[in-house]
Amino acid sequence: MLPSELYFLGAFMTGYILRRAVSLVFVLYAVATIVFFLMSAVPGGPYQFGERGYSQDAMANILAKYGLDKPVTERYVNYIRDALHLDFGKSTAVAGNPDVVNLIGQVWPVTLQVGLYTILVSFSLGLTMGIVAAYFRNSWIDNLVTFVATLGITIPSFIIATWLLLIFGFQNGWGRAHTVIIGPVVEGGYPLLAWDYFLPVITYALAPLALVARYTRSSVTDAMSADYIRTARAKGLSERAVMFRHVMRNALIPMVTVLLPQVPNLLTGSLFIEVVYGIPGLGKFFVTSIFNRDYPMIMALALLIATLWGLTYLITDILYTLIDPRIRIGGRVRSA
Amino acid sequence: MNRNRLILFLAVLLLALAIVPLLAAQDDMTDVYGRALPEDAAPYALQTWRNMCRSDAVETTFTAVVSVYQRICTMGDLFSDSLVVLNNDLQLIPGAAESWEPSEDGLTWTFHLRPDQVWSDGTPLTAYDYEASYRFMADPANAYDFVWMWQGVIAGWDEAVAGEISPEEIGYRAVDDLTIEVETQTPFPPLPNTLFFWAPIQKAALEAHGANYTIDPATAVSSGPFILTEFKPGESVIFEANPTYNGYRKPILREMIGFFGDYNTYFTAFQNGEVDRVSYERLGPAEFEIIDSDPVMKDNYLPNPGDFRTDYLLMDTFNPPFDNQSVRLAFAKALDRDAIVANVIGPRLAIPAYSFLSPGFPASDVTGELHPIQAYDCDAAKQLLADAGYPDGAGFPSLTLQLRAETETVAARFVAAAASISSCLNVQIEVNNMEFSAYMTALLARPTTLQFGAVSYGMDYLDPANMLGVWVSTGRHSWRNAEFDNLVQAANAVVGDPEGRTQMYRDAERILVEDVGGIFLDHRIQGELYQPFVLGAPRELNSQGLPGYQWGNEGNWGSIYIGSTVTDVKTYRNDMGLVGE
Repeated sequence: MLPSELYFLGAFMTGYILRRAVSLVFVLYAVATIVFFLMSAVPGGPYQFGERGYSQDAMANILAKYGLDKPVTERYVNYIRDALHLDFGKSTAVAGNPDVVNLIGQVWPVTLQVGLYTILVSFSLGLTMGIVAAYFRNSWIDNLVTFVATLGITIPSFIIATWLLLIFGFQNGWGRAHTVIIGPVVEGGYPLLAWDYFLPVITYALAPLALVARYTRSSVTDAMSADYIRTARAKGLSERAVMFRHVMRNALIPMVTVLLPQVPNLLTGSLFIEVVYGIPGLGKFFVTSIFNRDYPMIMALALLIATLWGLTYLITDILYTLIDPRIRIGGRVRSA
Repeated sequence: MNRNRLILFLAVLLLALAIVPLLAAQDDMTDVYGRALPEDAAPYALQTWRNMCRSDAVETTFTAVVSVYQRICTMGDLFSDSLVVLNNDLQLIPGAAESWEPSEDGLTWTFHLRPDQVWSDGTPLTAYDYEASYRFMADPANAYDFVWMWQGVIAGWDEAVAGEISPEEIGYRAVDDLTIEVETQTPFPPLPNTLFFWAPIQKAALEAHGANYTIDPATAVSSGPFILTEFKPGESVIFEANPTYNGYRKPILREMIGFFGDYNTYFTAFQNGEVDRVSYERLGPAEFEIIDSDPVMKDNYLPNPGDFRTDYLLMDTFNPPFDNQSVRLAFAKALDRDAIVANVIGPRLAIPAYSFLSPGFPASDVTGELHPIQAYDCDAAKQLLADAGYPDGAGFPSLTLQLRAETETVAARFVAAAASISSCLNVQIEVNNMEFSAYMTALLARPTTLQFGAVSYGMDYLDPANMLGVWVSTGRHSWRNAEFDNLVQAANAVVGDPEGRTQMYRDAERILVEDVGGIFLDHRIQGELYQPFVLGAPRELNSQGLPGYQWGNEGNWGSIYIGSTVTDVKTYRNDMGLVGE
């Protein structure tokens, strides 16, 4: 790549990222507004009615306690103002009513850890299985990978978790609770690797693994059938060069499109996996905060998710331009 | 060292080696209060009670003084003692108070605390701690979620809750360190019963750290049988026996551990030996099938009346079609309770209900004279519906029976109830299981938005004033009967004539049944499944021959213990290294 081309690429990417960042701010504002008003419209509140309900005075006290005695517009303005300062308030559903940002900071690392292990397992195994299946397509290896991928996608995680618990769980001596393999990095933190992580990661990884394997196989198979691959082979390139320089590079675009958006899901956890395996992570809050009407938590999580998705798509688009020169050239032509 | 000294040294060494294990063995069978454990108890190291806490619920406090509906783990209020408590025969007995008496006019109750009760920080438990707790609950700033309990009861309570007077002016006062005076708005005989739930918080800690002092081991103090030593929200909680406890229920248990999990996995956790008890509410038909096929589990499922809970259908009686008493009675008579209890719920878990108060509850219909009023009679039901203008169900609007976030087991009985009514009267009824908050919002809205629903109710204290109070016109139902209201309100204040008072409640309940304020389906028979090695209180029979943990008997925590057979089974308790494997 010539220096002038590098300069152009840098300028193009900087402008592009800035435009996307600005649009992300608007997306976050829209998400915050929609979630706030939807949440306000749902019956109930962060209080329990119990069996007898409340007298008028008691209800007024409860509404005042949670700030719900104010008009919805006033609450909205206050919320947006506080959110700009990253102040989402205190959780109404967690013991001690901790600050929501602190609470997320406390529990998200656990989910992140499990999520990162899951990404590591599912993407490395899935990519390998997909490439091997594509290379040996229509062989027994391909059939086996397709079979495993189909199983991974079709069997719900709660069935997998139940079976894993039954087969490898406590009764058979595996998954012995709290056995640390690699200790925590910081004192008092969660261990870097423990037996506790194995079953949740396997359960969590099976579906994305299957997805990765299927898309990788499909993309690589398409690329391998392309004319330019035949040309590359005809030029006498080695099989390794054909596979890694031409097949994989061209197969990456559809894979990035489909596989990267899996990452935010995996990094924010799953209610079911965390509850079944007793992981004190963030995933359960995505569901329980709604049922418990933990408004500060709902709002913070909605913005967290929106940010993660926005960033993921931004990264995906940047990766496109790096992987496929046609995209940035097309951009230059259009901008010219 | 000469030879004699060497021999002496060896002799002393041998003696020490022989004695130390003996001493250790003795210590191992002695509790923190220096008492010998029961002969069939496991060593003290194994005296651990294991419980599951809900990981998806709003649980923010350990004490009912701060919130009744947000209590963590429902492991009981174990950090202090309420004034009174119930025994296994549901009789009111002393708790932290050694005695109490009403004034002659019935308007003032005086409670006398037992002396020498102390907090774990060494300060004495006094009447001022109780006073501070009740003032905390009455303070509008704290928005207490159970204020209804003393509305219309404690003098000044309603005004304090409304912010019209200071909480310090309520009629719950400390006279001196050991004397509490409770002034009521009108004579209220069951006043002591209403005080059994409320174990106090410490006034000094409340002032120093706020009400959340109870959830932080660094600030937690206890005058009860256990003290908080570890709490990781969403992970685990540990209570240890409070060595300074000087009350009526000194625990044999060394510690209580709660771990947070999904209640749907409660029975699996029980099977794995992770928890020591499962409530009937966590057991469905599939679980009972497993229990019945296992002789050990079958013998360890111990039934009890619990909180005398009744399942029933409710209606918006202020609007058509249920504003017509004939329609309501037609629905009541179309409900084949006997068949539903026999075939859907199971006779082990319920008895058919023809009225609201469960058999055994004070003022309940012991003679069965109310049975015929709502009893199943499909022909009579059809005739009543025809009289109301809907012959063979023609023109009757289709209905939705709304459920309140019920479990599969409870929902099944209401689905069967809808089917019974629908098939008899030829009316269309769908069933919808609503989310809890949405259901209660609809039920309590005025006018209500819940046309037809199903729900249950169990006692908060052992008196008809509580159970029937839920049906007065200021209660949660959209049903009103002035005669019923007058009877209940008058009976609540009757002093010195218990038979007359009971009869007034019976008359009131007859009105409720005849006017079909509700359609009563079943009285639950509750129970718990215990691990076979859980001994003590749950195995003791009450005067009716019923075993199990009886509702309201918080004193039971003083006599529950882990039996020596715990070492024969594989449990997490053993796997944690407390028993050599």
